[in-house]
Amino acid sequence: MIDSILLVDDENLFHLVFEDSCSLLDITLSLRSLNSSDEAAKLFAEWQKDPSGRPECVFVDLNIIGSSFDGIELIRKINFEYGNHVVIGIISSSNEPGEQAKAVQAGAQFWIIKSDEIEPRLEEFKKDYDGYKNRTSPFKVYK
Amino acid sequence: MILEKNTKKQLIELFKSKNIGLEGNIVKLIDSDGDEDFAAYLKQCIEKDTSTRRKRLEMTKQVQSQNAELTKLNQENQKMMEELQGTLKNVEESKATFEAQNIELNAWKDENLRLTEELKVEMVKAEQAKIAAENAKTEAENNLDIVQKKTQFELINNIVKVALYVIIGVGTITTGIYVYSIAMKVDTDIIGSTWSNMFGILLTNSFSIVGTILGVKYGATPNKEEK
Repeated sequence: MIDSILLVDDENLFHLVFEDSCSLLDITLSLRSLNSSDEAAKLFAEWQKDPSGRPECVFVDLNIIGSSFDGIELIRKINFEYGNHVVIGIISSSNEPGEQAKAVQAGAQFWIIKSDEIEPRLEEFKKDYDGYKNRTSPFKVYK
Repeated sequence: MILEKNTKKQLIELFKSKNIGLEGNIVKLIDSDGDEDFAAYLKQCIEKDTSTRRKRLEMTKQVQSQNAELTKLNQENQKMMEELQGTLKNVEESKATFEAQNIELNAWKDENLRLTEELKVEMVKAEQAKIAAENAKTEAENNLDIVQKKTQFELINNIVKVALYVIIGVGTITTGIYVYSIAMKVDTDIIGSTWSNMFGILLTNSFSIVGTILGVKYGATPNKEEK
């Protein structure tokens, strides 16, 4: 089970879906959801000074409406500005190879495609999680 | 997490009496510590929580799906509205163009009417000018005719005068010679016959001249029917 997860997504309904799915699949007991990448960047800047409370894994939406920058830029900031100590990836309805290549360059470890049936993908991700944690698993797209 | 025995008992009684149990992920963190009743209680709470979460997940997904559909419909509506606005704009532009063309056509129509009126006036003027020219022509012809006739009459007068002078002169001379011969009692047989012949010829010529003059006069005058 993952110790703690942070979800950054502008869609509040998906927060509920993700929370229930994680609970039903026993993925994590601690989930925090944010609406904007600016807020997430601010928290990671604080966690750089005091890491207590920092999540173990971060799921970031690709296009976060109402934010200054998109999910790929947030991943780049978390990895290269605030310290690379979390498992991080994209969760989006998009399946663009170009965007996925950019995400890899920014340091994303996985890409989960959002759809009505998110649970099987999260279950598969849960199985692969240890590989992401110890940085042995390559970038993977969960379709 | 291990709870005290009394707390466990109270939680189990609350669940039995009011069906209120622990919810959420905290249930997964509580250890029954060998208490079978509390383990059963925790299992029931987890099952209840799972069931509730499953229902909520399904409902949330439905709402999410409906939202996505509504968003799509909204986007389609917006697209249609934009298309309609575009069409409306085109129609308005066409209307403006038509109105401009209509104004231009009306201006052309007014100009044509004005030109037609001017043409009519000019035609009337031209007709009047034509009539005036014809009148002038007729007048000129009449004047020319009059001048010609006047010239002819003058010429005829001159001819008649000269002819009369010649006739009178010849007559007077012949008659004088004949009278002188009679007075001198000279033989007048020859001169008498000559005088009578001469006189007859002169009379004949005089009538011939008068007839010619009258013929010229009435021949040059147009008939009333021809007028």
